Amino acid sequence: MSHGAPITSSSGIALPLLRPGPHQRRLDLIAVVATFGGLLFGYDTGVINGALEPMKHDLGLNTVTEGLVTATLLVGAAVGAIVGGRMNDTLGRKKTLTIVAVIFFVGTVGGVIAPNLAVMLPSRIILGFAVGAASVTVPVYLAELAPTERRGTLSGRNELAIVVGQMLAFIINAIIAGVWGHHDGVWRYMLAVAALPAVCLFVGMLRMPESPRWLISKGRHDDALQVLLQVRNEDRARAEIAEVEHLAEEESESQTGGWADLSVPWIRRIVVVGCGLAMAQQLTGINSVMYYGTQLLTEAGFSASAALIANIANGVLAVAGSAICLFLVIDRMPRRQLIVRGFIATTAVHGLIVIAATVMPQGITRAYVILILCVTFVFFMQLALNVPVWVCLSELFPLQLRGFAMGLSILCMWLMNAALTFAFPIIVGLTGLQGIFSLFFVVGVISVVFLWKMLPNTSGRSLEQLEEAFAGGDFR
Amino acid sequence: MTILVAVPDSKEGAVALAAAADEAELLDTDLVVVNLGLGPLDTSSLPPTLKVTVTKRTGKADRDPVDAVLADIEEYGATRLVIGVKRRSPVGKALLGSVSQGLLLEAPVPVLAIKIDDPHR
Repeated sequence: MSHGAPITSSSGIALPLLRPGPHQRRLDLIAVVATFGGLLFGYDTGVINGALEPMKHDLGLNTVTEGLVTATLLVGAAVGAIVGGRMNDTLGRKKTLTIVAVIFFVGTVGGVIAPNLAVMLPSRIILGFAVGAASVTVPVYLAELAPTERRGTLSGRNELAIVVGQMLAFIINAIIAGVWGHHDGVWRYMLAVAALPAVCLFVGMLRMPESPRWLISKGRHDDALQVLLQVRNEDRARAEIAEVEHLAEEESESQTGGWADLSVPWIRRIVVVGCGLAMAQQLTGINSVMYYGTQLLTEAGFSASAALIANIANGVLAVAGSAICLFLVIDRMPRRQLIVRGFIATTAVHGLIVIAATVMPQGITRAYVILILCVTFVFFMQLALNVPVWVCLSELFPLQLRGFAMGLSILCMWLMNAALTFAFPIIVGLTGLQGIFSLFFVVGVISVVFLWKMLPNTSGRSLEQLEEAFAGGDFR
Repeated sequence: MTILVAVPDSKEGAVALAAAADEAELLDTDLVVVNLGLGPLDTSSLPPTLKVTVTKRTGKADRDPVDAVLADIEEYGATRLVIGVKRRSPVGKALLGSVSQGLLLEAPVPVLAIKIDDPHR
């Protein structure tokens, strides 16, 4: 980063440099709370991977109810993402996140004490609601409080925190199973740990200020300046108010488009591409591995306790892939190329898993081959299809349609995730690993063809240039 | 007197814009163009002598194009609305509703509806 010269924000407003000062500590706190939001999200989605096996025996689950326990969280998350967006606008970011942290806690406790499915399923929906609401609120809140210089790296760091949260859940599950594995309700200990980040988020949020952009969108300019004075040097804070106003206007503009605009063919086309991309990302089966990795590895031939430990490899490779993507790959390869190649790679690995699962005799060699292929898949997925897909979606839609189209894509993503998560144990129960990975392979081939034909390259051009090209019928 | 024209990003939009310009010249009034599309609108084809104001949809309140046009009719005190209409399939109407129908039924001013699929034009 250059020193001395004032920086120019995304809106073209020149801002004085951010200098060290007492506000620095508050900015660091923001970064910590940022990390906890992502960690919490990852931990709560990943903890079921490992808790499910002992829970199955304890609560007497079959493949259908097993799918339900996992998938109800995602249905709740889809609802939470929509309602959370509304709460953000009306209550403000801070109040929403504080409420969300309490809901997190309630959902977690419900799951921990659940004596049967009648308590477990509603608890999973409540927890899912909090997960979904947090997923739409945390990134927005952080982006609105962070200085322009740091804003770009924040959303990537959030994705990284999510996979680290999942990895931590896998590791802590393996440790708990190692220490208290002989206890009947060992899964209850695993779920209980997820209350910790929720408490941290709650305590952290109490000390955080409201988002200046939200305050300005409610016409509370003085309050917004007060917040900025806490987290910036004074000259910078006063200069930044203008930028925040511009961003609030831009955000209001991004809410313009809706269903009616889908009557225009070029708009319909990019919305179809966006929703298709979001669903294709889920249909790689990444979350089946992240939620059911332990069962999958047991099915491959590991013993229950070895599978819990082997499953940690999935978490580690997910973190490695995300980190390499963020620090090395994302800005160096055209977006379309990265995403299409990513789908080719994951689909090829799916094909290899089908072959290995079919031709290899049962035994520990087969188990290890499938483990290696599985972590290779997770690595390629996180390298090319996690953050790049989100960045691509955020660049794809014209400004006025962005709010609506992003919302629709994210809804498609959650619903596809929920449907697949529900179906996974049932399909594995009926057809084994070969069946489910054959399905992933076939859908992967379809995704590659769809994206090859439809996906425009969104990197290397300004968003305005992109919009002009799409409106003129040029979708390259 | 002011003529207001609703211009979606479609063939009806172009036809309505041309008809509204003729109408405004004929009646010697100014013209308010409501751009219902999400991209910028090309108004270079309009006669340079005409006094034209172009507005666009902004924000959640304008998400429904019908509401956006009704709000602009009130804001600019328009006395006539020009729209383009075409035949639509029942499925198309069920899926996306009809902006033209909404405007015909709800506009507080006389509506001049230009048909694009009229063979006599």
